[in-house]
Amino acid sequence: MIIAERKPFEEIKEMLKSYNNVLNVGCGGCTSICLAGGQKEVNKLNAELTKEIPALKIDGYVIERQCNYDFFADLDEKASQYDAILSMACGAGVQFVAERYTSIPVFPALNTVFCGVDRNVGWFEENCRTCGECVLGETAGICPVTRCAKGIFNGPCGGTRIDGTCEVDKNTPCAWTDIYNRLKEQGRVSNILDVKPIRLWQNQTRRSLIQEDYKARYAE
Amino acid sequence: MSDQDNKAVDRAEISGMLAKKAPEMKHILNYCLHCSLCAESCFLYMSHDGDPEYMPSYKVINSLGKLYKKKGNVDREFLEGIKGMVWNNCVLCHRCYCPIGIDIPRMIDFTRSICRSQGVFPELDEGESWL
Repeated sequence: MIIAERKPFEEIKEMLKSYNNVLNVGCGGCTSICLAGGQKEVNKLNAELTKEIPALKIDGYVIERQCNYDFFADLDEKASQYDAILSMACGAGVQFVAERYTSIPVFPALNTVFCGVDRNVGWFEENCRTCGECVLGETAGICPVTRCAKGIFNGPCGGTRIDGTCEVDKNTPCAWTDIYNRLKEQGRVSNILDVKPIRLWQNQTRRSLIQEDYKARYAE
Repeated sequence: MSDQDNKAVDRAEISGMLAKKAPEMKHILNYCLHCSLCAESCFLYMSHDGDPEYMPSYKVINSLGKLYKKKGNVDREFLEGIKGMVWNNCVLCHRCYCPIGIDIPRMIDFTRSICRSQGVFPELDEGESWL
């Protein structure tokens, strides 16, 4: 799931300072689940903005996904009534809204932080950098790109402490020590004996994906 | 218990929302043939051993269908009752197949909007789960 957090209030206020009539659009997907941009958060932010900027007319509306135009029908009817849109979706959603209503300024209310998991209510951890070349099968389900401070593929480095923590922070476990220990438990240490080749780092450019079964559909 | 729990629902607002989309929604509600083909394309239905409560058509008929049948004259208890059906039992993945082209996710989406308009939505920070 994509994890986001609300921008500092002053930053949001600054973005909206030139507008009097704003629609705050929440998202019913990931940012609802990570408690950053759902119905409750839209209501809360609007209450704060109304209190702080009495002249601002701000309405709230939540669509179920800002990353899928199938859910935009109701927003299509509303958008033109406002001189700016504040989006409480992830960066992908904000861009999709901005692409749909090109004549209306669209502002992000959230910072998209990472792709992660729920540890507990309101507690999330990054587990994936969406690098596009998953090696979890070889590394016992522990991602060296995400969890190693250096993101190295042929670890551990010389900075692993004797107690299995990272030289960067003594509270951070060394990802490669964890990988070794788990592979050893599974009898698969040979997985990491070979030196891995240099990666392509495809994530340096904008990516697009069409699943194999759908390639013919979009061939033209 | 939140302040919303005791607040009366705005039936006029619900009726207004239903009326605005009545031509589109009633049309597709009336055309369901109960063929159950949508069920087999729903991964939630399949992964819950064919529990009929996960059938896409069941979810729509028992949420939006009832809202239309009651003409929006429902109380908060009704909306709270369908909340699980339209949030927990459906992820809006758009994979449900209907041979006559009924847009089931669009109807679930609309039902969620009606619930949201009355302050009924998953309280994720208060322990309510999503799936």
